[in-house]
Amino acid sequence: MKGSVYTLVYAAVLGTVCALVLTFAASFTAPYKRANAEAEEVKNILLALNVSIPAKASSEELVKIYKENVQEQQRGGITTYVYTPSDNNDGAIAMRFAGPGLWGPIKGFLALDPKITKIQGITFYEQEETPGLGGEIVKPSFRDKFVGLLIRDQDRNPGIIIKSGGEAAANKVDGISGATMTCDKVQQMLNEAIKSIVEEKQ
Amino acid sequence: MADKQLACATCEPKGLCRGKGLQTLKEGAWANNPLAIQVLGICSALAVTNRLENSLVMGAALIFVCVGSNLIVSLLRKHTPHRIRMIAEVAIIATFVILFDQFLKAFYWDMSKQLGPYVGLIITNCIVMGRAEAFALQNPPVLSIVDGLANGIGYAVVLAIIGFFRELLGTGEILGRTIPAFSEWYTPNQLMILAPGAFFALGIVIGIFNFIKGPEPEENK
Repeated sequence: MKGSVYTLVYAAVLGTVCALVLTFAASFTAPYKRANAEAEEVKNILLALNVSIPAKASSEELVKIYKENVQEQQRGGITTYVYTPSDNNDGAIAMRFAGPGLWGPIKGFLALDPKITKIQGITFYEQEETPGLGGEIVKPSFRDKFVGLLIRDQDRNPGIIIKSGGEAAANKVDGISGATMTCDKVQQMLNEAIKSIVEEKQ
Repeated sequence: MADKQLACATCEPKGLCRGKGLQTLKEGAWANNPLAIQVLGICSALAVTNRLENSLVMGAALIFVCVGSNLIVSLLRKHTPHRIRMIAEVAIIATFVILFDQFLKAFYWDMSKQLGPYVGLIITNCIVMGRAEAFALQNPPVLSIVDGLANGIGYAVVLAIIGFFRELLGTGEILGRTIPAFSEWYTPNQLMILAPGAFFALGIVIGIFNFIKGPEPEENK
């Protein structure tokens, strides 16, 4: 009996100490993590909208560029980020998309042209896919494939396809070999986002 | 025997655990290398070694966690009830792992994004748990730190070797930079970045380690 009490007390004390240490660590790093997350989000919006940013911009610089170039607008239930460049460039309109990935949630921004017919850019700001395989979705080599991609198929149904091999189409990009699951899930969440904004426009 | 070690008689004449300490260090990092000889913790070794930078950070994480958990487990070894010692070990290990993860998230955001779930998965790394269970429970704190350090280094070095060759052969780069005179003519072999490349590289490294070390004395009989 005495042994059991000691065991329980020991477990409780050890658990409490560990929890306290972690709570302290979490609150200590919270402001840094928040700043990182904010800069990351802004950077992704800018990247998706194809706003030029310096290669090694600091968090503050990114937020400044964002405030100068991008306006947030509500479009039905969707928050959009509208970029209207000063030169005769077309500009773009970005929106958030999210969904489950293979290991954890995937979140990102999808930028479309102002007429909502094709993709201008795409970025991912949160993902926990396998490094080297599904994790490659964040690489420019994969994301650049989406630029200019039509968001409707031949029958004008909204939707894109991410798949390795098969017939080429104006709404299809090549997937990543070894990351079929990740590609399928990304395709699904992008299609949901495309559908929602297309319906909002009509 | 435990009392003798507690007094650290082994350290006395020559200073800090020399003799015993050096032996422990050599044992962990080389003769009983957790990855190459014991073949423990290969899950993370296969997963994150597609880039040298990832491998180095992962090695640093394991050194930190192994040293920290060995120290705490060793300090508490006389007070931990035997029945719940493993749960206690896991709680201690998890605390150190999450500390490292938080540190990466706050100060090395890009690296944290790269490594994804694998930092958290150190909690289940058999090397850390194995050292706590097999060494820190029976040995004094200083020697346990040495043991944690030795095994951490043993893991980190093997990871760095694999990471170096996988990145070199898989992308033709090192630490994300192109190498003059090499990157121009070398055609990267994607296979080395993918999972099979990890198995090939790890197998070859294990083979080389065992070849240099030679067979176990018992096997000679």
